[in-house]
Amino acid sequence: MKKTGAIMVLGGGVSGVQTALDLADLGYYVYLVEKKAYIGGFMAQLDKTFPTNDCAI
Amino acid sequence: MITNASLQAIEGQPGSFVARVHQEPRYIDEDKCTACGTCTMYCPRPVADFYNERLDVTRAPHIDYAQAIPASYYIDAKACLRVNYETCNLCAQTCTAQAIDFSQKPRDLELEVGAVVLAPGFGRVDNEVLARFGYGRYPDVVTSLEFERLTCASGPTEGHILRPSDQTRPRRIAFLQCVGSRDETCGNGFCSSVCCMYAVKEASVAKEHEPDLDISLFFMDVRTQGKGFDAARKRAQEKYGLRIIRARVPNVDQVDGRLLLTWVTDDGKSHTELFDMVVLSVGLSAPEDARAIAEASGIELNHYNFCKTTHDAPLATTRDGIYVAGAFQGPKDIPESVTQASGVAALASELLAETRGTRSVTVTYPEEDTSLLEEEPRVGVFVCHCGVNIAGVVDVKAVRDYAGTLPGVVLYEDTLYSCSQDALKSIAEKIKENRLNRVVIAACSPRTHEPLFQETLRSIGVNPALFEMANIRDQCAWVHSQEPEAATEKAKDLVRMAVAKARLLEPLAQPTVDVIPKAIVLGGGASGMTAALSIADQGYQTVLVERSDRLGGNLRDLKWTLDGRDAGKILKDLTDRVNSHTGVEVLLGTEFKGMSGYVGNFTSSLEKGGQTELVNHGVLVVATGGRPYLPKSYGYGKSKRVITQLELESRLSKGKNPLRNVRSIVMIQCVGSRGDDMSYCSRLCCSQAVKNALKIKEFKPDVRVYILYRDMRTYGFSEDLYREARKKGVIFLRYTPDRKPEVIRQTRGIKVRVYDRLIGDEIEVPASWVVLSVGIAPAENEETARLIKAPLTQDGFFLEAHAKLRPVEVAVDGVYLCGLAHGPKSLEESISQAKAAAAKATIPLAKGKVAVAPIVSRVDKSLCIGCGICENLCPFNAIRLVKEGKRRKAETITASCKGCGICASHCPALAISMGGFTDSEIMAQIHAFSQRECEERRES
Amino acid sequence: MTQKGFDPRILGFFCHWCCYAAADSAGVSRYQYPPNVRVIRVMCTGRIDVRFILEAFKCGSDGVFTGG
Repeated sequence: MKKTGAIMVLGGGVSGVQTALDLADLGYYVYLVEKKAYIGGFMAQLDKTFPTNDCAI
Repeated sequence: MITNASLQAIEGQPGSFVARVHQEPRYIDEDKCTACGTCTMYCPRPVADFYNERLDVTRAPHIDYAQAIPASYYIDAKACLRVNYETCNLCAQTCTAQAIDFSQKPRDLELEVGAVVLAPGFGRVDNEVLARFGYGRYPDVVTSLEFERLTCASGPTEGHILRPSDQTRPRRIAFLQCVGSRDETCGNGFCSSVCCMYAVKEASVAKEHEPDLDISLFFMDVRTQGKGFDAARKRAQEKYGLRIIRARVPNVDQVDGRLLLTWVTDDGKSHTELFDMVVLSVGLSAPEDARAIAEASGIELNHYNFCKTTHDAPLATTRDGIYVAGAFQGPKDIPESVTQASGVAALASELLAETRGTRSVTVTYPEEDTSLLEEEPRVGVFVCHCGVNIAGVVDVKAVRDYAGTLPGVVLYEDTLYSCSQDALKSIAEKIKENRLNRVVIAACSPRTHEPLFQETLRSIGVNPALFEMANIRDQCAWVHSQEPEAATEKAKDLVRMAVAKARLLEPLAQPTVDVIPKAIVLGGGASGMTAALSIADQGYQTVLVERSDRLGGNLRDLKWTLDGRDAGKILKDLTDRVNSHTGVEVLLGTEFKGMSGYVGNFTSSLEKGGQTELVNHGVLVVATGGRPYLPKSYGYGKSKRVITQLELESRLSKGKNPLRNVRSIVMIQCVGSRGDDMSYCSRLCCSQAVKNALKIKEFKPDVRVYILYRDMRTYGFSEDLYREARKKGVIFLRYTPDRKPEVIRQTRGIKVRVYDRLIGDEIEVPASWVVLSVGIAPAENEETARLIKAPLTQDGFFLEAHAKLRPVEVAVDGVYLCGLAHGPKSLEESISQAKAAAAKATIPLAKGKVAVAPIVSRVDKSLCIGCGICENLCPFNAIRLVKEGKRRKAETITASCKGCGICASHCPALAISMGGFTDSEIMAQIHAFSQRECEERRES
Repeated sequence: MTQKGFDPRILGFFCHWCCYAAADSAGVSRYQYPPNVRVIRVMCTGRIDVRFILEAFKCGSDGVFTGG
């Protein structure tokens, strides 16, 4: 069986985006599939993050 | 990137799946949309702004937030008049970019993929559950996510905290924890693991906005078990005077426009108080579409509808080739999600190693035209309208004509949207036609758009360093919208400064460094072995260095995982695989003695039995582990009846009847942790204690088990164990650090004296055994840290490069981190992290080359006097002195340089220049800044 | 805009990673501030040589703003 060097990542939140970036860096083609109109997920709605209060965006 | 899309089915085998995906239209062409916002302005159809938790209103065509990706608007099909009634069409008529396209239809896609990663995140808790706390009925009861938007400067209230009912400032706010978590009645028996942290964060941010606020937080247990989180929580508590109450508030009532809370504390007393606003710290549910995803992808879910996984393979679903990361695997915070995300990339990469690079897209560029630079500077200036964003304030045509008067400028034009595809094409053509050798674009910020324009330059054989931007939008038109004349003057100045710099720009080479395709992993415990195997499975030779003479580390002493798996079998599987893998070289009894070089080209010295061997490698993974804290208190070491949890596990796993003559066992939590010896929480002891308590009950149900704790931190699905332990009769007694339990040794047996909060007095519990839940202490990390020049935390663990976004990287490029060396964590978490470190470490190996941004420093050796100031000041160890003949000369280590320029600004001989930021370039900008004044002065 | 008729010309050196980014987000949020600053972007405030500041004053700058 011949393997395909592409990966589908379902979900464009912080996890999905990080996975997609790493896989692309590792030399694979990535389809990032997101159900909403934008990637970012819940994290994009956060103002700041614990504990360093870094800006979330 | 495929947005507005849902998964329909996955067919095929691991390595070659077909994923069927259904996509709904955006009705706005992503490539044409310039995100100008005109469509939102003209749309007559208001819709609730879901991004701002419905606290605000937007229109059918909109963008969720300014930084959204894709940076294109979309039309909310449910609200749009054109889509539903074929009327209106206003937006399409007003869109100058003609991006609105109502002819778009839903599409069904078939994606050929080798592996699938599920990362759908988490879902919301039902409003029905929130309604129990008055949500929906009382407007001043808000969710934590709504409160988050209220505290956000770009949120609906611009960061002012106002009560939704009357827009007044609240004085007293209460946070109720565990709403929709740790609550079997709503189906979420687990702990959501993040709410304690975000509540403390939101309370702190609120206090920063409004220092007079009076904030109370209602916890059952304060679960801030993450790395550095306890310390942050304590600081916040002290700095902002947050009031912590340990109670679960059952419901909320409204009295005279305020909110009445009633609660009972663990001393049995009842309390009642009024608040102005109540924030519900809502937990994380399984994704709403979890069932649909499970059916489409053919995986199993657990009893809470999260993805089913095991502790020894936390990122694998029940179907081969389909992996899971993030909150769908179990509720978790951002660092852990990011860790799992990288970890899961390693899994997919292991499966598909042989296909690496076969589908990835490589861009090729034409050779650079060096003849261009033989000519005098020929500068082209393009002034962008950005629709009305710039042109609505700045007189773009005046700026363009002014640019034409500047020295060296041979072409000056204005463009409607410089960044649009057709504009880029036209700019490229004009550069070629006019043989431009310097390009200035006056538009938005180089932070966001410089790479795009540089790419255009590269595509036509012009060195990307011959480019400069003048930021006349973000830092001019947008911030001086009321003063168009002054803004136009400023824009002219910025263009003049940019042109002055541009004339001096030099082409810069894009340096790359070859990578030695080999990894060293330090530490042969569970994390180290996992990381080494993963890197080897991804196709790269790995050297596993273990100080002791056997593999396994702390896993050797563990008998059961938290999900009841045989730890010995996991250990055996791992060691067998490591020992038989041709890609892993195991060096036992070997000490790591030093490392030199930089990412891609490290040389480490490894010492074994007095012999030192030098190994060249591209990357390093630190998995040096931790060790159990050795208790000094509670009579440990003086009686065989006082043991640690690991010693208990060892006793329980021996013989047929390990609990003969045992009638009562008292466990004491936080021994060493959260105290004087180790200020942090060791994270896993609570779950470990509950796990062992259940094991005891399984062997011999009539043994009385007491757990004396400070906060039960059985986060995530471990909450199930906690609940089960209570059901099976394990007795939990909370103690405070000022009233620690006492172990009293008697001639026969032992007893523990502890303060019972409900009775309000001390009680004495006879104990056959006392089991101490000792924390996890850092290994002797100082020496390793010194050798690799990596920083440690105050607590002695390795410090990651960024707590949230780079959790497994170290500040030193090419060095990665996992397991207990990073901080206390469970086996499951160690394995995820080891996979993540393996993925990150494999990236440079897979690329084969490390690219270096050309903004690095360069030393002119003929000017260097070898004083060494630069070497001392460089924060990245990126400049060093080397002997050249009899003299010492500075030399940049290009691969490590970040381009900060500290060396250049301090060089007494002016021997160091920075790529793209040379002295003469910056001086030219300064002179251009005050050109008139300078000229006047020179004349006088 | 100026209260006492003094309309200073200020030169700013902004760090690419923080202050320059902050100035961009001020724009994104449409905050308004007086149009007196002209910005030179540097990769880090560590790049700023004292000579730059002196030169700015010498060339008639009324103030120098470093942000990082």
